Amino acid sequence: MESFDAMTFGDIARKPLTFLTMLVAAVSFTAAPQAVFAQDQTVTAPIEAPVDAAPADESAPAAEAAAPAFEHYGPDMIKGQPTPGGIGFQDQYTANGNYALWMHDAILLPISVVISLFVLGLLLWVIARYNRRSNTVPSKTSHNTLIEIIWTVIPVLILVVIAVPSITLISRQYKSPPENAITIKANGYQWYWGYEYIDNGGFEVISNMMPEEEAKAAGEPSHLAVDNRMVVPVGVPIRLQTFGADVIHSFGIPSLWFKIDAVPGRINERVLTIQEPGIYYGQCMELCGARHGYMPIAIEARPLEEFNAWVLSQPGGTTPELEAAAAAAEAAAAEAAAGEGDANANEAPAAGTEAVAPDAIAPTI
Amino acid sequence: MATTADTFQAHAEEHHHDADHKPGFFARWFMSTNHKDIGTLYLIFSIIAGVIGGGISGIMRAELAEPGLQVLGHVVNFLGGDGASFDQQGHMWNVLITAHGLIMVFFMVMPAMIGGFGNWFVPIMIGAPDMAFPRMNNISFWLTVAGFCSLLFSLFVPGGTGLGAGTGWTVYAPLSTSGSVGPAVDFAIFSLHLAGAGSILGATNFITTIFNMRAPGMTLHKMPLFVWSVLVTAFLLLLALPVLAAAITMLITDRNFGTTFFDPAGGGDPILYQHLFWFFGHPEVYIMILPGFGMISQIIATFSRKPVFGYLGMAYAMVAIGVVGFIVWAHHMYTVGLDVNTKMYFTAATMVIAVPTGIKIFSWIATMWGGSIQFKSPMVWAMGFIFLFTVGGVTGVVLANGGIDDNLHDTYYVVAHFHYVLSLGAVTSMFAGFYYWFPKMSGKMHSEFLSHLQFWIFFVGVNMIFFPMHFLGLQGMARRYPDFTAAYAEWNHVASIGYAITLVSVGVFFVNIVYAFVAGKKAPSNYWGEGATTLEWSLTSPPPFHQFETLPVIEDHHSADDHISTKPATA
Amino acid sequence: MSQTATLDTRNRRTMVFAFLAALGMLGLGFASVPLYRLFCQVTGFAGTTQRASDADADLAERFAASAGGATYSIRFDANTERDMPWDFKPLQRTDTVTIGQRDMAIFVVRNNSSVPITGTATFNVEPEQAGAYFNKIQCFCFTEQTLQPGQEVRMPVLYYVDAKALDDPNMDEVEQITLSYTFHRALDQDSASEGEGES
Repeated sequence: MESFDAMTFGDIARKPLTFLTMLVAAVSFTAAPQAVFAQDQTVTAPIEAPVDAAPADESAPAAEAAAPAFEHYGPDMIKGQPTPGGIGFQDQYTANGNYALWMHDAILLPISVVISLFVLGLLLWVIARYNRRSNTVPSKTSHNTLIEIIWTVIPVLILVVIAVPSITLISRQYKSPPENAITIKANGYQWYWGYEYIDNGGFEVISNMMPEEEAKAAGEPSHLAVDNRMVVPVGVPIRLQTFGADVIHSFGIPSLWFKIDAVPGRINERVLTIQEPGIYYGQCMELCGARHGYMPIAIEARPLEEFNAWVLSQPGGTTPELEAAAAAAEAAAAEAAAGEGDANANEAPAAGTEAVAPDAIAPTI
Repeated sequence: MATTADTFQAHAEEHHHDADHKPGFFARWFMSTNHKDIGTLYLIFSIIAGVIGGGISGIMRAELAEPGLQVLGHVVNFLGGDGASFDQQGHMWNVLITAHGLIMVFFMVMPAMIGGFGNWFVPIMIGAPDMAFPRMNNISFWLTVAGFCSLLFSLFVPGGTGLGAGTGWTVYAPLSTSGSVGPAVDFAIFSLHLAGAGSILGATNFITTIFNMRAPGMTLHKMPLFVWSVLVTAFLLLLALPVLAAAITMLITDRNFGTTFFDPAGGGDPILYQHLFWFFGHPEVYIMILPGFGMISQIIATFSRKPVFGYLGMAYAMVAIGVVGFIVWAHHMYTVGLDVNTKMYFTAATMVIAVPTGIKIFSWIATMWGGSIQFKSPMVWAMGFIFLFTVGGVTGVVLANGGIDDNLHDTYYVVAHFHYVLSLGAVTSMFAGFYYWFPKMSGKMHSEFLSHLQFWIFFVGVNMIFFPMHFLGLQGMARRYPDFTAAYAEWNHVASIGYAITLVSVGVFFVNIVYAFVAGKKAPSNYWGEGATTLEWSLTSPPPFHQFETLPVIEDHHSADDHISTKPATA
Repeated sequence: MSQTATLDTRNRRTMVFAFLAALGMLGLGFASVPLYRLFCQVTGFAGTTQRASDADADLAERFAASAGGATYSIRFDANTERDMPWDFKPLQRTDTVTIGQRDMAIFVVRNNSSVPITGTATFNVEPEQAGAYFNKIQCFCFTEQTLQPGQEVRMPVLYYVDAKALDDPNMDEVEQITLSYTFHRALDQDSASEGEGES
């Protein structure tokens, strides 16, 4: 099912819109001091301020010299982001997202459009047929049991048609993550996100919004790009838990059809399985204070081996296999531990063969 | 209220001396006990609040016209803050959205619909001389004004990161408790207390008036649908507002007196606040739209020269909407972490509301069907309402699906939806009602040309503001954001242009009012002609200061619709 | 005039009923706090765990004997509120328990600040439907905990999963239950100590 954002209205609309802008601006200048405000371009808002001020210094996970090199995806791997002038949902990269998108585009949207047009058509018909000139003597009809039953029953039937996929969708979204799902906890802070890799050593990646210029230089969309992305494995279920450390935040990724609040004093949990490697942007979706608009989310979905390589590049990062191996080694003998570690260290970089982005495997020294 | 009877008797006795005796200016407008004067006060108040709330949306649309922050710094400086500070700008944004929401809901729509039109026409339509408790009516109004002052005052006191309360109109804990230090949030909450108390008193007054003061022969099933709508609304107010009062009182004590109703540190639950808020909040949206339904029914019937189709179905559809409105609240909370069964229940229950709403839409069309429709300005606004409300309704069905809402929750799609049903729905119905009754209230005819002109400019403008918001929401743009990535720029720009157009239409509205008072023709008793059958059309325009001192008798018509004929009230 | 007097009486009666209804709803609003808590505790709504006595546990264990040793994986999750200068971690990230069998989980807490701090823990389980079947016999979250500066404490939770979970279709797919705790600074402490807490 294709989403509707392929039809970008922007190109068609831009010219007449510009004209209309000028026209209306001219009108509104006389009437609206606010509109004059809007034209005042002399103010340059310190857009980079939040990032400077935000406590990014807490644990910026600088790449350790000892850790294996890891190259993040470049802007060519951006998949989940808004389209300029787009009029539909973003493309979906989860199974539930695609099902929901299908439900919206194939059921809800047509029904909505048809009902709206039907009502509009009836209104137009009534205007044309029953105006005072065409119909001078009004009828006295004020009851018709049959028609009243019809317009009660048909909406009920339509709602039943909607309810079936709707309930299916909810039950799919609530599928419990399997036991071996990789657990990642998204902690909402005023005003940044922290991603805790519970099953991978428990380190927390602090993620702040990237300043606008920096984002542009990196080829990423401003307001969505972050300094440290939430790197996750692709194709395997993630047990995504959310927690609000101060006020309520909400972890929302439009292209993954995923949104769950981060509430103080409790965790929420949903399973998330991303189908393709790529970068997916999201934002905080619950009003959380002054910089609510400036705590974006950027998910970088990588094949499992690359994810593991990234994990090992983080301070305190480890994989369950490594942990198990380390435990086994500990139990076996002291000198064996060194050998195990070597073996795993060799294994991780070799996994990059599957990388899709050409610059992801570019050599870095 | 022991004095009520005395007041009532006094009026009854003196009517033959001077039915139109008015008190002096101060006593008339500041100590008013006359339902029509209080209605006028409410309408003026609502227009003032609407201008302020609409001005705030102007600032917001100006800010959102382009990516980046251009306007907020000026606003912060204007209010005496430090506009250079980024956090103050962000906070100011939150203050603006909060003030816009609270003003439009509590101080614009509710006062206009219930306080204004309700006060003016409910007593007249049921053939009563006044409201049951005229003095309480006055208290209701001034409580609302005091609430508004408290809200405006909150803009000038510290509220955390900057001046004013930046919690959103929902005032979610813990952002509104531990997340906002300073008295601004207290003042904002207190303003809700005052407005809420005023509304509860008003609701009591309406219920009493409608139950006890109907003229002889005016049975419940003969009442005009506008009266029905106010009755249902009054019950919603009476049952929903106290829950809000309780919730926000607990917020106040959590903020100031160390209680932990919503603070997990003391065993409270912030989610409970949301449950309480929306238990009030969902009926609240019907409180805002039901009187609109009532007015639309009157107007459609009048200009089609037909009785309302399916009168009983219409009346009980409103009752059904009111009842079901109390059991669907958690559809505002789909993403807080509800369990699967709860989410499925609220999805199903919410969709049920589409049925009575559909009945109303189709009944209006059926009323017009076979009619002899005259396209006077109220009718044009009413037909605009039907279409715009339908669009808002179908997006409501989309949002009702918990699974779909996972992507749309707190995006501009939601903003588009509730503005279609409220800004384009409720406000359109208010303009319809205003033009329907303005000559009756003022005695002066407005300009039909300007009213039509305003409709078309307004129609284009508001659709241009809010329709693109569907696209923004589908594309994932979050609400309550002062700034956005470049991809959202185009539709935001279109919406801001739409605001400028809408502003022009509001200008036309004021020109029209001025025109009516300066050059408007004197309005006859029934200026809409034979389709207008309710009791207000049997009175002069404006009606006498005290009407129905001899109660009108409603004839037992053969059909039980709101097609009422009255015997002339002879003294 | 008698008719007017009657109207006045009726009006006042209606008003009193209306005010009573409003007062009732106001009372209900306040009553919702304990009622909601009770509702959650009874039904496990919002992932609220159950509290069980030793006797309940013994009974549940006997009932579970027929369950044939089915197991759940339990994950332990620990959080601290932002202004809480404590380190709070489960000793074991996950554990596997047999249905109906008592098990013990240990959480390690350390006060990193230079002042004694009293903490109180909130909790829930995910998936939420497991709340009705997750029983705690003993828990550090039942009472407030005070830690001296630098003090490290091991805090136990004694719990079991009720065999009734096997009869609930909503629990069919559940393989792992996460038991989550959040430590908050208890509110009755004087604010003077709050400023000194470093994070």
